[in-house]
Amino acid sequence: MRNFKYLNWVIYLVVMVGIISFLGWGKPTKIIGLFFVSGLAVGSLYALGGIGMVVLYRATGVLNFANGAAGAAGVMLAWQLGQWGVWAPLTWLACILLALAISLTYGRLVAPRLAWREPVVKAVATLGFALIVLGIVSFLWIDDPRTFSLPTDKVGVYILGLRVTVTRLITFLASVSIVVGIYFYLSRTVVGLQMRALANDRDLSALIGIPILKVETIAWGISGVIAGFTGLMFGDLIRLEPTVITFMVIPSVAAAVCGRLDNLALVLIGGLSMGVIESLLTLSQTLKGVRPIAPFVIAAIVLIWYQRGTRLTFGTKD
Amino acid sequence: MKLRYLTAALIGSASFAFAGQAFAAPSCGANTGVAATGEPIVVGGIHGNAPPGDFSASTDAAKAYFDCVNANGGINGRPIDYQIENDQWNPELAAQAAAKLVKDAGAVALVGNGSFIEMAVNAGTYKEENIMVMASACAISECFESSNIVSTNQGPLPSNLGAAQYAQEELGSTNVACIGFNIPNNGPWSCQPVIDLMKARGGDGSMQLLNPGAPDVNSALLEAISTGADTILMNLPAGLAIAVLKAAEEQDLRDDYIWIAPTPLYDLSVPGAIGEYWNGKIFVNAELAPFQMGGPDALNWVEVMDAYASPDDPRDTFAQSGYLSATYFVKTLLEMDPADVDDRAKVTEAIKAIAGYTSDLMCGPYYVGDTDFHMPNHAGFMLQILDGGFKIVRDCYEFDSAYFEPHIAVEQSLGLR
Repeated sequence: MRNFKYLNWVIYLVVMVGIISFLGWGKPTKIIGLFFVSGLAVGSLYALGGIGMVVLYRATGVLNFANGAAGAAGVMLAWQLGQWGVWAPLTWLACILLALAISLTYGRLVAPRLAWREPVVKAVATLGFALIVLGIVSFLWIDDPRTFSLPTDKVGVYILGLRVTVTRLITFLASVSIVVGIYFYLSRTVVGLQMRALANDRDLSALIGIPILKVETIAWGISGVIAGFTGLMFGDLIRLEPTVITFMVIPSVAAAVCGRLDNLALVLIGGLSMGVIESLLTLSQTLKGVRPIAPFVIAAIVLIWYQRGTRLTFGTKD
Repeated sequence: MKLRYLTAALIGSASFAFAGQAFAAPSCGANTGVAATGEPIVVGGIHGNAPPGDFSASTDAAKAYFDCVNANGGINGRPIDYQIENDQWNPELAAQAAAKLVKDAGAVALVGNGSFIEMAVNAGTYKEENIMVMASACAISECFESSNIVSTNQGPLPSNLGAAQYAQEELGSTNVACIGFNIPNNGPWSCQPVIDLMKARGGDGSMQLLNPGAPDVNSALLEAISTGADTILMNLPAGLAIAVLKAAEEQDLRDDYIWIAPTPLYDLSVPGAIGEYWNGKIFVNAELAPFQMGGPDALNWVEVMDAYASPDDPRDTFAQSGYLSATYFVKTLLEMDPADVDDRAKVTEAIKAIAGYTSDLMCGPYYVGDTDFHMPNHAGFMLQILDGGFKIVRDCYEFDSAYFEPHIAVEQSLGLR
């Protein structure tokens, strides 16, 4: 079994090297480096979004499509407060608090009423909630050119010829830190243990007295904070458009699927790989048109590879 | 939202400064000062308004003008019943909107249309139903290469050409990278003539195409740089163009390239959004008269908007364009036999016969003609983003491209040259 695990990693490395070589064939190394680093930056955003989804899914069984909308609402509020002259750190805090409030509102008021429904019903309900939040945000802030910047945008380092701002480094490091932090939280704390128990069997967990509502509220809270932070980064690094930020959850879902909605390390690696491949596809005149679907093709290939066994990813029971 | 009011206030202030006289009321149609009470004449308008973009400014302005006309005698005493539909960027809704206005409501013409979708879906319907669309916010080829659609705005193709031509002549551009949408009737259609122009003038060009939903504009920028271009043309809506500029700022590329853009970047909120870093470094083509020009039509547009539009309605190029289409339409109806203004075929015939309306909002004459293509507006202004605003760096100039040869031939046949 251990050998089989290693085999997966070897295959992954060979495939990635093969793809990078194929797409970068004949191009100067510097150009490939530029696109590689640029892809890592976007990939870390995909991964960040995916991690937020998986953390919640593992504890509550809800695949939350509203994370992007919560982040979009948060960063729009941060922008508005900035326009009104509020001290910048307070605007960032407001972003995270609003996303947290949106997440908790759904988690406490709506999610418990759907707790016994199928995973697909729960997921689609969050999509409806996302559209409501997006509608309100679009009503409050009509389509207008806006930008949102963080002070860390001004400072950067050169990696493989590309200037990488501290904001991008923060995003990348935050992705890794959240994966590590969540890993230890789940494995070393009582609430983490309870979350794992819930993820494993909700019925049984309720029977043995695990405070389901409390544990789920904490999970929604963690997810909301990650959504707020992700929104802040998306607004700065992608663009300050609520629709774009809201639907960044779509490639994030692909990253989450790479980790089979379970393994955070795989979500991180999946997200980064998607970003790199998507970026390098730009170098191919033939294939650059398929860039938008690249994350989903990758997710499908990963699923097919892992589904060689019998485990179901979206089933109620494995 | 606040910026909209600020824009309106700025334009209003500019109008007083330039006019040096008080405008008691806007001038509209027959200008009788008596409200029209006769049987309404049905006119339609379709815009797209849903995330990610709002193209309703043109129909807002057209409605304001029609309301003003209705309060001033209408069309020989008959008011215009202006019915507006929203396609919400949905082809199915766009088709339904056209069917509702053209077939059910019996509109005699459509005025002020603004959409990315509607024209591509409905161009065939308009031809079959023999109805003219005097559009105002067009961005795709079907809008300019159809028999029954004519727009007062230029769309990206001429505006790109104007920006590239200025950059080649004044800023020393030799190789232009055009970053546009990967939509055949928008990006490639409007970037290719720029490449052709640059090659015709001994330079070179390339296009980098973005998927509209793609979050990552950095790759397109890197691709543009890797072509060896010395000029970056941002053929994108303002939001995405700003994202490109932000990615470029991240790489500190400002002084390494010449930065140009078509009209979408001519928005008074853009200089503030892009910040001090880009001051004086971006050149934008304007397809209609810049707001500070202040000619009679420009001032009347402000008066009409102030009197009849909502304070929240945008005062931008598309609004100018919607106003202009509405004024040309009303002028056409007023010149017709009053008995014929309900007859769609005769209204269509009258619109196609327009040959040489002029306005200080447009550099050249407005005409229609009975052809399978219409692009009367192919001259413009060049602006520089400077000190939080826009400075005019080149007054009205005609764009140079083989693409316009058929249009110029029509203008010659109409005696406009």
